[in-house]
This record gives sequence, structure tokens and C-alpha cells, in this order.
Amino acid sequence: MKSILKVIVWLCVAIAGAGALAKVALHRGEPLNATWFVVAAVCSYMVAYRFYSAFIAARLLALDDSRATPAEIHDDGRDFVPTNKWVLFGHHFAAIAGPGPLVGPTLAAQFGYLPGTLWLIVGAAVAGCVQDFIILFCSIRRDGKTLGQMAREEVSARGGFIAQIAVLAIMVILLAVVALVVVNALKSSPWGTFTLAMTIPIALLLGVYLRFIRPGRVLEASLFGVVLVLFAVVAGQWVAASPPWARAFTFGGLSLAFVIIAYGFAAAVLPVWLLLAPRDYLSAFIKTGAIFSLAAGILFVRPHMMMPPLTRFIDGSGPVFAGKIFPFCFITIACGAISGFHSLISSGTSPKMILRESHARSIGYGAMLLESFVGVMAMVAACAMPPGVYFAINSPASIVGSTPDAAARTISGWGYHLDPQTMANLAHSVGEQTLLNRAGGAPSLAVGMAQIFSNTIGGDRLLSIWYHFAIMFEALFILTVLDAGTRVGRFMVQELGGRVWKPLARTGWMPGILLSSAVIVGLWGYFLYQGVVDPLGGINSLWPLFGIANQLLAAVALVVATTILLKMKRLRWIWVTLVPMAWLVAVTMTASYQKIFDASPDLGFLAKANVLAVQITAGLIPAAKIAETHRLIFNQRLDAAVTGVLALMILVLLVEALAQWYAILSGRREAVLHEAPYVPTKWAEGFTGTAHGDD
Amino acid sequence: MRTQGVAKFAKRSLRRFWRGLREWCGDAAYERYLRASGRQATEQRTLSAEEFYVEQINRRYSRPNRCC
Repeated sequence: MKSILKVIVWLCVAIAGAGALAKVALHRGEPLNATWFVVAAVCSYMVAYRFYSAFIAARLLALDDSRATPAEIHDDGRDFVPTNKWVLFGHHFAAIAGPGPLVGPTLAAQFGYLPGTLWLIVGAAVAGCVQDFIILFCSIRRDGKTLGQMAREEVSARGGFIAQIAVLAIMVILLAVVALVVVNALKSSPWGTFTLAMTIPIALLLGVYLRFIRPGRVLEASLFGVVLVLFAVVAGQWVAASPPWARAFTFGGLSLAFVIIAYGFAAAVLPVWLLLAPRDYLSAFIKTGAIFSLAAGILFVRPHMMMPPLTRFIDGSGPVFAGKIFPFCFITIACGAISGFHSLISSGTSPKMILRESHARSIGYGAMLLESFVGVMAMVAACAMPPGVYFAINSPASIVGSTPDAAARTISGWGYHLDPQTMANLAHSVGEQTLLNRAGGAPSLAVGMAQIFSNTIGGDRLLSIWYHFAIMFEALFILTVLDAGTRVGRFMVQELGGRVWKPLARTGWMPGILLSSAVIVGLWGYFLYQGVVDPLGGINSLWPLFGIANQLLAAVALVVATTILLKMKRLRWIWVTLVPMAWLVAVTMTASYQKIFDASPDLGFLAKANVLAVQITAGLIPAAKIAETHRLIFNQRLDAAVTGVLALMILVLLVEALAQWYAILSGRREAVLHEAPYVPTKWAEGFTGTAHGDD
Repeated sequence: MRTQGVAKFAKRSLRRFWRGLREWCGDAAYERYLRASGRQATEQRTLSAEEFYVEQINRRYSRPNRCC
């Protein structure tokens, strides 16, 4: 009886999900209500989790709860800490949830809501969650080894080196692009800049409290810090209203870029307890709160999607970024569906804390489903505003013009009606001078979030507060990614540099710290500078580059996973990782090729460089701008070279892996797995890991 | 009787939530370390709360722990 009831319930969930997905995909005409998106996503996730992840857990990985995990074997209360399943789920989710699933879907909304939404749901279920889950499992079976170590042991030494370089490359481009998102959100915005600037002294205060006054009392310190940050959001309007203060906190793009570069350097060099860690605590609380508030707001307001399911820009002529749906929708969405970066969290950190092998299913697969849902919410927030407003915020001035009249004319000409007064009124109501040409996703997401929040609490009166709350939330956790990433990047530079010059590898040696920090900051700082001076706003070229790097890292992770599954003799189910891997290789190779060689200067880096070079030769560039144009040409060629190197790396790794697979399948090489030996668990079946039995 | 049961359940749930929240944010890390080091025979010297806090965050922020 019970099992029949279960079948009926799951049938209802599946039918509701399929029906809602069909509605989202096929609906035309009147704007669609966001509830359909929520039902489609949640029901699809439930079905995917219940059936597909269960299949992977049982058939493919054969998770074994009788086997002791690294957390049990090495339990030291430091790295290896047996952690309750739901607590670790929270840790893992807080670690993987970054700005990507918010910014990517917002940018991909230029194709309409349909392609991005479908890929967020389907991509997460069959690729992103699978990658996170299987890499987590592989790392658990190898005492918490990192992706690079597993690539070295299971694929080849060269494979490990490539993975290491790929991680560094993605880190550099990631840091540049997220810094650019912050610059575009804060330029000419004294309110936003003041609020974000205030988070630094607040973090310093918290740092001193947590180090000297009440060591390690993170909860009370963070709650106190959150109250101060919320006060700073409110106080920002007084700063914006006072001309001398507003002037002091008004920066152009380039000045902001240099401030952020200096901040990144300071965060990498200063003691962690002083700035980096307390900011991270603040960010984790605000991020979690804002994400759950957005979900509640969407369910409460149930906005209508003003954006059509498909826009005219599916042909590749989009103003936000160039390129057709295939491959650029997938490259742009990136983290919301599958993120290579997650494989770094799934290996190395979470596997050292997991209590039972079976928990890998909810932590690896489940946390990624939640991340995908964040992406769907960002898509809803972006598409709930009129398309004209969306394009006015996200398009660069060189395409739509820099005045409200010019932007309204251009965008209305595309078929998305926009009144010049609309943008002025919107900017005024959110407390900004202008919202035009703020490519990067953060401001349009903040407008979407503010509209949803203000419809829930406060109405139009609180729109400006909600907008700046949303900007602060995005900028705060982007800067957390920036400073944490810069510090990790510093260690990577030290490790790689230590192979050439030994003293550099000494992590406590101050000249080495300063030099390696300067190298990593210089690398991402240059790409940031390039983005800020780019006439197209930078996001246009840097976000696809970031997407390509991220998806390449995911391909690296799936190559490692496929190799391990092959060695485990799971040939029958190898398609589980092989198909997403092949898809990612196809997507990234096509995108790389088009970004480098496409004949259209809007899309191809080299074509753009050539057009600029021809313009100089033909005397079309004024003398004063020739040096600047030469720099732009260099930047386009640099982007082409970086894309080429990334693509080449995955090809080399793929060839290495294919040779290894062929040798194993043909019997010429023995399949040697580098798993840690089996140790039976000593924990009783019902042990939950909550404070070692005091539950 | 039923009200008592509900109150007991609510109290237990709140206690679990509070404990989970403290573990999630790192508030309970030192207590956990003390329990773990109590079981480790090889432990040289138990760190103070301040030493443990600094050592723990130095280690945590030297590897990827925040994603894109």
C-alpha cells in the first residue's frame, strides 16, 4: 500500500514537472507567471535527485556505508572533521555558491528566458550535479586528494600539471571578470561605493574581536557585523544626498579598478584573521539570507516574465555579448548548470568532512541542484523587468548610445519599446544618477531583486534601499571571492614558481609573499584594466573567456572522473560522465574557435584586432587615439592567445586520457586504481556526527 | 499531554538548529577540536582558542574555498 502511494506521489511530481516545463517551453503570447518556472525547476530537481542520483549512487559508484571515510580515519578536529550531513551540505553550498549563477543567467537572458532556463535545469541534472557528486566520491576514496593530484595519479603526470595550470588560468580570468562586475555596478554610484567601502572597517573590527576579544565566536561577531552592514546600506543614502560626501565617494571605472586591485593585493598580504576571514563570515550570512529572501520574494510576488521566451538575438547579434545560442548560451550560463570550479571544492575540502559515503549524494548532487535553482531565480529576476530596460542597463554605450534618448531610440528600434523617461525615472527611484550602460549583470539583477523585494515589503518607498541592499550583497560576496581567490592564487604561484626558484615556495617568506601576490594581482589586474578601457564594456569579451575557462576545467574534471570509472570497470554506465564530457568539449572547442577565428569583429578576437589595425592604416583613427587603439589591438590578440592556450590544454589532456583508455580497454595496460585501502567503519549505523555523540 | 509533546519536539528542533548553525558558521570549531585532540594520543600540545582560530583560518584560506 505504502509503495503504491509512493509511486502515485512521484508520478504526480513528474507530471507536474513535465507539464510546467512544457508550459515554459511552449507558451507564447501573454507574459508567463514565474510560478511556472519554480514548479518546473523544483519538480525536475526532485525527480532527478530521487531517480538519477540514486542510480548513480547505487549502480555506478556503489557507495558503501560500511567503509570508513577520511574524516573518520584521520579525525584531527582541523582538516579532517566528521560533520553532520546537513551542516556539511550548508558548508558545501556556501562554498560553491558564488556570483556565477547570478550573473551568468542574467547575461544569458538576452536570448530570452527559454534557452537559459532549460539549460540551467537540464544541465545541472545531467552534468553539473553529476560532476560534483562523482568528483566528491573519487576524492573521498582517495583520502581527500585534490583534482590535480587525482589527475596526476589516475590520468598522467602531464594531466596533473595541466589541471594545475587550468586552475590558475581560470582563477586569473575569474577574478578579473568578477572585479569588472563590481566596477560596472559601482562606478558613479556614491551610495553603493560608500556601503561597500564601509564593509572594510566593519570587517577589520570583526577581525580584531574574533582574534583578541572572543576568539572564534563567529556567530555573535557575524550577526553584529550584519547589523552594521545593513546600517551602512541605509546610511549610504545620506552620503549620496550630501554633495561633498557624494563627490568623495564617486569614482570612474578606472579609479575603481585601481582601488580594487590595491584591495586585492592588501587582502592577499595582510593576515587572514584581520580582513579576509571576517569579510567571508559577513558575506556567508548575507549571501544565504539574500538567496532565501529572493526565493521567498519570488513565491510571494509571483512576477510575470516580461522578456519573450526567445529574442531576436539568438542569431548572434546580441548587444550584451556576441555569439549564437550554441555555444554561447552554455558558455555564459556556466556555473548555474555546471562549474569546473566546483570540482575544487568537491575534492580537497568537503571529502575530508564527510561522515558516510552515502552522504556524497545529497552533498555533491543536492547542493548543485540548489545552486541551479539560484540560477533560475536570477533568470526570473532579470526577465521580470521590461526587455527594453534590461537591454538599456546591460548594453555598452558604443552600441546603444550613452544618453537616454539615444538608448531609447536604438532599443525601441530592436522591437523592445523603451521610453527615454523610463530609465531616468528608474535611476531616480533606485537612488542612482544613471542605470544606462552598466554591463555585468549585477545592476540589472539588483533592479530585478529590488522590484521583487519592494513588492513584498515597503513598496516603491523602499525601492532604493532594496536596490542598494542587492548591490551590496552582490559586491560583498564578489569581493570575498576576489580576496579569497587572490590569496589561493598567491599560493599557486608560489607552488609553481617554487619549481623554478626554490625560495619562492616558502609560504612564510615575506619577499616571496609580496612577489607572488604582485604576480597574481598583476595578472588579473591587467585583464580588469583591459575590461574597463574596452569600448564595449569588457564583459562582452571577458565573460565568454571566463565561461570557456570554467567549462574547460569542468571538462578536465569529467575526464578524470571517466578515467576512474573506466578503471573501476563501470564500462556499461560510462556514458554518465562521458556524454557530459563530450558535450563540454564540443561547446568549449566551438566557442574557442569562434572567439579566436570568427570573421565577424563583434565575435572574433583576431577579426576585431584586424579591423582596428586596418582603421589605423587607413587613417580613420585620430592621432590622439592611436596609442589607445594599439593597446586595444594587443588586448584582442592577448585574449585570442589565452583562449587558444586553454583549448590546447584540454586537447592535450584529452589525448593523454584517450591513450590511457585505449591501453586499458585493449588490455595493454592494467587498470590501476589509486584508492585508499578499505577500512571498516567503527561508527554505529545511526551515528549522525553531531558533536560526537552528544546528540 | 499532546501540548507537552509538541513543546518538547519544538525545543529539540530548536536545539538542533542552533547546534547546526554554530557548526555551520564555525562557532563550535574549537569545542570540536578539543574533543578530537582529547582522543589523539600523538597531540603535542593543545592549542588555545586564539591559536586554534588563527591556525584554522590560515589553513582554510590557503586552498580554494570560495567558488565562482
